[in-house]
Amino acid sequence: MPTPKIDPAEFDTIFQVTDKQDGQYVIRAFDVQKTYKMGNTETHALRGATLDIFKGEYLSIMGPSGSGKTTLFNMIGALAKPTAGKVYIDQVDIGHLDANELAWLRCRKIGYIFQTFNLIQVMTCLENVTLPMAYAGIDSETARKKGIEILKMIGLGHRILHKPAELSGGQQQRVAIGRALANSPAIILADEPTANLDQKTGEEMIVLLDDLRQELGVTIVSATHDLKMLKTSDRILWIEDGVIVKSASPDEIDFSSSEFL
Amino acid sequence: MIQNQVELPVKVAFGVAMQGMRIRFGRSVVTVMGVVLGIAFLMAILTEQVVSEGVKDEEQMRMELGRMVGFLTADMGPVEGRTVSVVQTGGLSIKERRLLLLLEELGLAKILWTDLSDIPAEKGVSFEDLDPEDVELSGIGENARAIIVVGDGELAAEELALLRGVAHNPVLFTTRTDADHSGALVSLGRDLRQEEKEALVAEKRKSEFRNRWIVVISLVVTVIGITNAMLISVTERFREIATMKCLGGLSQFIRLLFLIEATVMGLSGAIFGTMVGIAFSLLMYCLVYDWDLVFRSLDFGILVQYLGLSLVVGVVLSVIAAIYPAHIASRMMPADALRSHI
Repeated sequence: MPTPKIDPAEFDTIFQVTDKQDGQYVIRAFDVQKTYKMGNTETHALRGATLDIFKGEYLSIMGPSGSGKTTLFNMIGALAKPTAGKVYIDQVDIGHLDANELAWLRCRKIGYIFQTFNLIQVMTCLENVTLPMAYAGIDSETARKKGIEILKMIGLGHRILHKPAELSGGQQQRVAIGRALANSPAIILADEPTANLDQKTGEEMIVLLDDLRQELGVTIVSATHDLKMLKTSDRILWIEDGVIVKSASPDEIDFSSSEFL
Repeated sequence: MIQNQVELPVKVAFGVAMQGMRIRFGRSVVTVMGVVLGIAFLMAILTEQVVSEGVKDEEQMRMELGRMVGFLTADMGPVEGRTVSVVQTGGLSIKERRLLLLLEELGLAKILWTDLSDIPAEKGVSFEDLDPEDVELSGIGENARAIIVVGDGELAAEELALLRGVAHNPVLFTTRTDADHSGALVSLGRDLRQEEKEALVAEKRKSEFRNRWIVVISLVVTVIGITNAMLISVTERFREIATMKCLGGLSQFIRLLFLIEATVMGLSGAIFGTMVGIAFSLLMYCLVYDWDLVFRSLDFGILVQYLGLSLVVGVVLSVIAAIYPAHIASRMMPADALRSHI
């Protein structure tokens, strides 16, 4: 299957840049390729993905299993480096960073929300939220205060000393969101955040994320199949076979058509 | 603009490690038990060395007595239910007293006592250690299976002739090695022959070697057990580790976390293990020897040194065992946190 190469010059046309183009690009990816070697076989997870994400945007990425969605996600989230091509996070080319610098980037610039919540079970909610701050070298008293503020903001001020096991799924995910916001990151990366939640709780989560985005100006990039979440997004990207094949805003999409699903 | 991620203070790593162990208590206990057993064994062997040094004399005495009884029964037959005649020529040594007590314990039915010594009556009564029911003052021989000559005095020629003339030819023994009776009396107190001595020394060395080998092997097994348990723990906690890396944790931090866990487990296991080891060894010895004797003769200085050594060994081995699992943990990819299915 031919791998479409996108000329950066045609970039803006293809992605239908709106008046938001005056805003900063917070993530840019050019012709990103990723190849995994397993024994004698090579897997081309990404074959030249290119995208732009603006500051404050709410972007959703969709794609079937094996499409390279997760790999692309890893690139954007500074969890892996591309085999070829460039990824810029906040104007920094991550291909040139070493492990320590990547860790710094992850700590300060990106917040993560996982499908399985991934809270540290042995720590209290407050400790979970303040952990990124500890990694950032912030002293414990300041971290504590900020942590309590964050937990109050997401509606869990009364549960700060509870352990994750004592919370419901929705509450755990909220703590995870709080943790993601701990170091006031530029980007929040959310991997199927509502997949393990029931419909109602999922909707609450989506509303919360959107409110936070508008209040704090963070960019949210999520990989999701949740219809409600897709409808709340500013833009949806489709990835298939290691390339981004389509980009559209939710208004332009007929969510009930077979083409979409 | 990009900086290097901060090295995390050890305190935070310590906190996370301690809480982790508290929550995963059941699993930690199993690993700690491995350390306890290995170190308990080490400490027991070391304690045994110290205690046996202390009760060495007593042990020696008991071995000699055992040998004497062995010689006795070889010529006379089993002790139980027999009558034995004891001829006293002088004051009794401790060994001779204990021999008679031992014979009594082994079921000797009767002791016929003849006192040929010059020791005045008040001082001369030497059989007070024995149960009065078992002792009879009588003439020499008289239905005895054996005659044992004891005491530091001389046996006159006519007295010897008397002994040899006793009816039913009882076996004649003496407890002294120096008495020269031209082979008339079997010497119970004979010294060991050279080859017997060498055999004993060789036996001791063999058993020491064997003990050392067992300790080494048991410690190796302990280390392997810890490494195994920790590897399983690391694999189980992949998501936690990967998440911490997403949040900014460095590989060194993750490694430190697991090494701290290992140190704490090693220390607590070693503390418990040394106590168990010492108690076990002391108990074993106290069952055989007198409580009093064991503790009185114990060299506490060396024991404490060995205790310190065992603690150090416990901690060091645990840390060594954790090196590989900690390395594996530190190499985990943060992207693994995204895996929702294993």
